[in-house]
Amino acid sequence: MGKSKAVNSGGKKPMGRRMKEFVVDFGRQWELQSMILPGVVFMIIFCYIPIYGLTIAFKHYTVIDTLDSAPWVGLENFRIILEDKFFWESVVNTLAISFLKLGIGFVIPIILAIMIYEVSNKRFKRFVQTISYLPHFLSWIVLGGMLITWLSTTGLFNQILLWLGIISQPTNILLDPSKYWWIATLSDIWKEAGWGTILYLAVMATIDPTYYEAAKIDGASRLRQIWHITIPNMRMIISLNLILTISGLLGSNLDQTLVLMNSQNRSHAEVINSYVYRMGMTQGDFSYATAVGLGVSIVSVILLVVANKITSKLNDNQSVL
Amino acid sequence: MSKRGSSFKRKSLAFLSVTLAAVLLVTGCTSGGGSKQNAADFSIEGRYTPDPNTPAWKLDTKEEVTELTWYVNADWWNTDFGNDVVTKKIKEDLNIHINFITGDDTKLNTLFAGDQLPDIITTFNGNSQLAKKANTWALPLNDLADKYDPYFYQVAAEDTLKWFQLEDGKTYTYPNYSNTQADYDSGYIPAKTAFVIRKDVYEALGKPEMGTPEQFEAVMDQIKQRFPDLLPFGFNAVGTGTGSLGDVFQDFLGVPLEDENGNFYNRNLDEDYLTWIATLNRVYRNGAISDDSFADDGTAFEEKVKSGKYATMLLDGTPQQGGNLQIWMSANPGKEYIAIDGPQSTEGRKPTLNQSGISGWMVTFITKNVKDPAKAIQIFTYLLSEEGQMLMNYGIEGETYKKNPDGTVELLPEVKAMQMNDADRYKKEYRMGEFMFFGHDRHKALSKDSFPESIKQMQEWGRGKLKGHFILENTNPDPGSAEARSLSAIETEWSTTLVSMIRAKSDEERENALNNYRKFLDENNWDSIVKIRSEKMQANKEKLGL
Repeated sequence: MGKSKAVNSGGKKPMGRRMKEFVVDFGRQWELQSMILPGVVFMIIFCYIPIYGLTIAFKHYTVIDTLDSAPWVGLENFRIILEDKFFWESVVNTLAISFLKLGIGFVIPIILAIMIYEVSNKRFKRFVQTISYLPHFLSWIVLGGMLITWLSTTGLFNQILLWLGIISQPTNILLDPSKYWWIATLSDIWKEAGWGTILYLAVMATIDPTYYEAAKIDGASRLRQIWHITIPNMRMIISLNLILTISGLLGSNLDQTLVLMNSQNRSHAEVINSYVYRMGMTQGDFSYATAVGLGVSIVSVILLVVANKITSKLNDNQSVL
Repeated sequence: MSKRGSSFKRKSLAFLSVTLAAVLLVTGCTSGGGSKQNAADFSIEGRYTPDPNTPAWKLDTKEEVTELTWYVNADWWNTDFGNDVVTKKIKEDLNIHINFITGDDTKLNTLFAGDQLPDIITTFNGNSQLAKKANTWALPLNDLADKYDPYFYQVAAEDTLKWFQLEDGKTYTYPNYSNTQADYDSGYIPAKTAFVIRKDVYEALGKPEMGTPEQFEAVMDQIKQRFPDLLPFGFNAVGTGTGSLGDVFQDFLGVPLEDENGNFYNRNLDEDYLTWIATLNRVYRNGAISDDSFADDGTAFEEKVKSGKYATMLLDGTPQQGGNLQIWMSANPGKEYIAIDGPQSTEGRKPTLNQSGISGWMVTFITKNVKDPAKAIQIFTYLLSEEGQMLMNYGIEGETYKKNPDGTVELLPEVKAMQMNDADRYKKEYRMGEFMFFGHDRHKALSKDSFPESIKQMQEWGRGKLKGHFILENTNPDPGSAEARSLSAIETEWSTTLVSMIRAKSDEERENALNNYRKFLDENNWDSIVKIRSEKMQANKEKLGL
């Protein structure tokens, strides 16, 4: 994308002339340009040729078939998807959990980053950062095991609730489908919020300190400084993060789901990814799983483009992508 | 910038770029191509004449070492060959060298897509589409045996060969741990399911009967009163399945495998079974089943077994839990888990416990690309023979094991010591019990050391209670079909229903859950699934000659 922009940046010249200039430029730089060739070849072999495999979404494919020998079935797989109750259940869960994560999980790292930035005691700052990064480095398998214990009848949360007198009888919280969305969202935020601050902190470190000095002289309070200097300077990175998050809306966390899902909460826990995994890997229904995956990718691309359009409107027509 | 001045730089730069691109292109393509071996013009003339009464490996005079590539569809498979007691003996006896390659399904699919099949392939699913279409890529064992090694028929189980027969009447694969009716009848395959109770609890309560729902409920109540620290009743981790409360419990109660007409029977809706589920529901409501038991994963369940947390358990896969049970038993003598009769059918049926069936576990194929088909079938014969089985399980007599007068087999003390104390070295030097292609429980039963002390009483209890579930094997609709999708949805629904029924707050709620399941069956193609299953059960009976 960046390259095409550079070529186009020379104003609006007639097409023929632009082509000619391009060829001349290219000829002059061909040694340098050819260095990109291995990269291009690499991309073609490992990223583009495999796309051909997507054709099994329109075929009735079994392991024994080759990609070519499997019979075409047209949109049959997609028709089945639309009628599948469990698929739609997983779509609802994916969207619900993703929007909760977006609504809460997107703002928290920003606030946390600003708070860390405002801490003046270096030691304390380091301490907070380390503590908040820590859960990120544990895998969901480990964290899931911890959560299962914490949420059990004898676990941490039940003990706290009992002690506070909110409940009188311990229950296993993970078995309650109505609470699963929140368990998934909050545990994900707990795991990733600290890590999410890194980008923001990096950007804040580049803000020119003279802004703050000038603001102080003008008598701006701490909050005013944050509002008028820190946040506006973070605008670009915030919108970039938002776009990436939105394009990933349909890709809810697979490992988290596989660890925390049980037969009771499944109606609220199954997400598209775990469903694809179950149909493809467990049931061996590769065509069906590929069809779902393809559909999800298409929707994700649309989301990405839309999100980019909206944020660029908000950012004075500057696109961050 | 002057063009002339930088000409040398430019040339070397160009050279570099082109080389880089070329290297990338070449390396990207080396995996393509390759030649395909043809087994059609292979002949054993001049090597030996096949004899139905002598294994061909004893006759074969081929002097050069035969190199075979053997793919095993498991990353954990030990690819070493010829350096330990077991494989060294195989190497010498058969005059072969095996290059093992391992991988997962992705790699297997790549091998197929690239037409790069090795000589021999081992996978873990005898019912996969791959196995069902083996006639397109593998050689029939019957043909190989007829041509090169008729002794094979003396060591291979006829029922097993028949079981794996494809529509063309030929068999392309042979499994390990495949149990036939004869094996079930012989009594040397141990049961793996048991209702167990902690001995101290059992004795403190005066060894109560708990065969009827009323007795069971009463005992659970007593346990709850007298042992408040214990969870009265536990079962295998449920996850998104049914743990040991589904078909395992049905087997325990002896729910029939088929209806009176020999057709498919929905065992989940069996009255006897549902009576017991209602009992479990009441037990749950009395607080004798913990909610956590439904949410625990395998690890959490094992922790509880290890620490004796459950007073009673309906336990499936006792050999897998043997280690955990042993840990508890060793640390708490007198409190070990023992198997008792436990819940029994309200209709007077006897338990029909399940064990590994005729389909076995690992299945091995000889592909059409095999370089020396005679050697390949010789390996099958060798490993299946008494000699090969003893070698795989116990090594070489006099060197690693000895035979006792009572017919049992015992590892020599220094071998045993290494197995206990230095498992890694044992694997490297001996590797007994690990090279288990075509292995069988029959030979495991020869040694007292095959199973831990903690489960021996449970296995003893299970004697005579096993019943082969052969007619139900592989009766699911073919993967990818509409029925297979419906069945997957139904099974998902059933696991939710079962747990909801046991956790129901009232009888009414429980009935509702069950009715929803019934409704779900009607809405999801159940009739055609039943039809397919009945047909496949019929086909199974024909194959087994029942």
